[in-house]
Order: sequence, then C-alpha cells, then structure tokens
Amino acid sequence: MSNFENLSRRELLRISALSIGGTAFLAACGKQSGVQSSANIASAGSVPSLQPANSGDITDIVLLRTAASLEYNAIDTYNMVIEDGLLTGDFAKLSEAAKRFRDDHVAHAAAINSLVVSLGGKAHECANERVDRLYIQPALKLITTEGNEDTSRDVVALAHALENLATQTYQGVVGSLTSPKLRGDAMRIAHDEARHAVVLAQVLNPGFASVGPTVNEATGKANVASVPSAFGALAIIQVSLGKANAEGVKPSLNMETPSLNGLIYDNVTC
Amino acid sequence: MPIAKQRAPRSAPPKQPTSNDKQLLAFAQEAELAVHDLYATVVSSSKFTGDEAAMLSMFTEHHKAYAQAINGLLGKEATNRRNESIYQTYVGQLTTMQSIYATLQALENTLAKTHIDILGNLEGIDGAQLVASIITAEARHAAVFGTLPTLSLSSALDNPAASIAPASSAPATPETTVAP
Repeated sequence: MSNFENLSRRELLRISALSIGGTAFLAACGKQSGVQSSANIASAGSVPSLQPANSGDITDIVLLRTAASLEYNAIDTYNMVIEDGLLTGDFAKLSEAAKRFRDDHVAHAAAINSLVVSLGGKAHECANERVDRLYIQPALKLITTEGNEDTSRDVVALAHALENLATQTYQGVVGSLTSPKLRGDAMRIAHDEARHAVVLAQVLNPGFASVGPTVNEATGKANVASVPSAFGALAIIQVSLGKANAEGVKPSLNMETPSLNGLIYDNVTC
Repeated sequence: MPIAKQRAPRSAPPKQPTSNDKQLLAFAQEAELAVHDLYATVVSSSKFTGDEAAMLSMFTEHHKAYAQAINGLLGKEATNRRNESIYQTYVGQLTTMQSIYATLQALENTLAKTHIDILGNLEGIDGAQLVASIITAEARHAAVFGTLPTLSLSSALDNPAASIAPASSAPATPETTVAP
C-alpha cells in the first residue's frame, strides 16, 4: 500500500476520480430537483398535531383538587345508578348501599375541598373530565350495549373499580403531599373508599374463598377480590364489562389514577 | 412519569425515617406483631376450617409482612417484639367464633386508625408510603369482617375504634376538622 508521500500522478488522478464519483452518487440519493417533498415519506399514516397537555405546578392544592374531582366522578356515577334504577333483580337490594356510598363521597368531597380552601386554593366541585371521558363513559357504553345480560352486575363492577381508583389515588399522593398531616387526612378518606370496595367485591364475588386473590380458570383473568394483595396496590385497575363474546369473555377496561394530564391544576375550572 | 418525580424539589421531605419517625414506626411494628400473634392463636385453635381458616391464615401472614416491612425501615433499631399490652388485652376475648370475628375486626379497625394517626406525623416519605399501603389493606380486612359471614353495612363501613398511637403522635388538628 502506498502512503501519501509516495503517490504517483496516476494514483492521485484515480483517487480524485473516485471522490468525484462518490460525491455525485450520494448527491443523487438526496432531494431531487422538481420533486415536492412529503412529510409522510417513510412513515405510516399522517402525524397528528399535538395538543399540549394542561400543566402547572404540582402543589398540595392541585393534588387535593384532583382527589376532590374523583369524588365527584363517584358521586355522579352513584347518582346515575340510583336515579336511573340501574340496580335491578337481586342487585336492587344494593340501592341503600349505593346511597350510603354516594353520601360518603359527598362528605369526602366536602372534607377535601375544605382542606383545599384552608391551603388557599379554590374548591373543585365537579368531576374529573378526563376520568369521565376515558373510563366512565366508555364503561357505561359497554354496560348499556344491546344484548348485555349483566347490566346490574356491570354497574356494580364499575362502582367497585371507581372505589379502587379513589383508594389508589389517595394512597398514591401520599408520596407527593408535603405535609404529614395532609397525608393522614388523605388516607383517612382512602380508608373509607377501601371499605366501600370490599362491600362491592363481596357482591361481585362472595364468600370466604373470594377474599384473597384468585384467578378465573376459564378466562385466565383475576377474579374480583376483597383483599387483592397484602399491601395496598398502586396498579392498573382492570374491569370486565359489557356483552360477553362467544367464549363468555367480557371486554376489559383498564383504569389508572390521574397522572400529569389528568390533574386539576389551578387553572382548571368546572 | 409518577407525579412524585415531577414535584419541585424545593419542598421535598426526607426520604428516610427521622428519629421521631422511627419511634412511631417501632410502635407500629410492635402492634403489628401483637395482632399477628393474636391471629396465629386463632388459626392454631382449629376453631375454623376450610376457606375461613385459609382467609384467617392469609390475614395472619399479612400482619407478619407489615412487621417485616417496617423492620426493613427500622433496621437495627427494630425491636421485633410484640406489643404485650395489646396482646394481653385481646387474647382473652378470642373464645367463641362470633367473639373472635368481633375481636379481630376491632383489632383491624384499631390498627387502621392508629396507622392513620402515625402517618399524620411521619416526616420521611418511605415510612409514609409504607404505612399508607398498610392502612388500605387493614381497612379491607376490617370490612371483610363486616361482610362475612353476613353483611352488616355499618359494620363493614364504619370504624368506631380509637387510635392507640403514642400520645406524641396525635394529630395537631382534631380529626373532626376533615373527617366526613
């Protein structure tokens, strides 16, 4: 191999020719004149325009307003269940329990909003729009699907999921609330929500054998459990609702506690 | 991303338990061990069989798990002893099946209220998150005794117990200011 000091004139010309040829080849691979560029080349479908998420400082007030909003999700759902008479047949006896749960959530919302106001914030007295849009409305759509033979049972399943969602939300904000007292106040309410969930779990899957976690052998899905784990979990809440398919499996809906785009920031109003 | 990671660090509380936290957590651990031993007494009595016995065994293990988890936070400062006062107060009440359920529910209610009080005084986040996860589980335990063998809505939902947390950990503000 020759080094640069020993290049002959012929070798120098050969290298130059190769360089020019390579450059021309690479240029041909680039944008061509007269051809309009497309933003969609090498992508599947079109890129949607992004809507910036609502954001702001995550303060104790924001976390508590978010908790209050979930209380209103529960209040609205129980009101609908009660007023529309969605608990029928064997489930009709749950109507009194539904009223008690609704009243508890009204009291919880008032308690949380009083904390918000005491911290200098504005009370939030309506449901969390994102939770309603992503979870509750789709759930109601599944429940009211024509041919669904378990409407009342599914209503209880939705209520059970919402109670677990509320429980997890309060437990989840413990790591973010700055004041120990606020953490205690939050968990005082979570304690109540967890008890609601147990009553509903025992309606859906009654008996001593159903207290702990079990799996439905036919579907492979976890059964509803009164005490699903040793410690309070912070996990996705899966609920099966609606008309079952040919294999007897109902559609599943996954719920998660409000995250950054579901918080009730100071600028969010009812 | 978890909300906790998004919070501004300016107000971040300590992660590890403070010395005051450790005293409260030590009390919580001793209470859990006492309740564990009370459950173990019931299970070993063979008064319950089948699914009932399995449920009681599960709750027994849960309380052991709580004590072990608190031990993980306390390290060498954990006493790993049961609260003898709690144990002796309740062990004599574990006689008939009905009184056993009533007693175990009272214990679960008491622990839940006690942990809420303790949580309201914990500065360290690790301890607070652990105690919070125990509170919801013990609330569920207590509610189960209100639903089985027969449902009593008030027994399942209401917690009439008083906290037995050490006096120094009592909340600065009365509970009635926020409780529904």
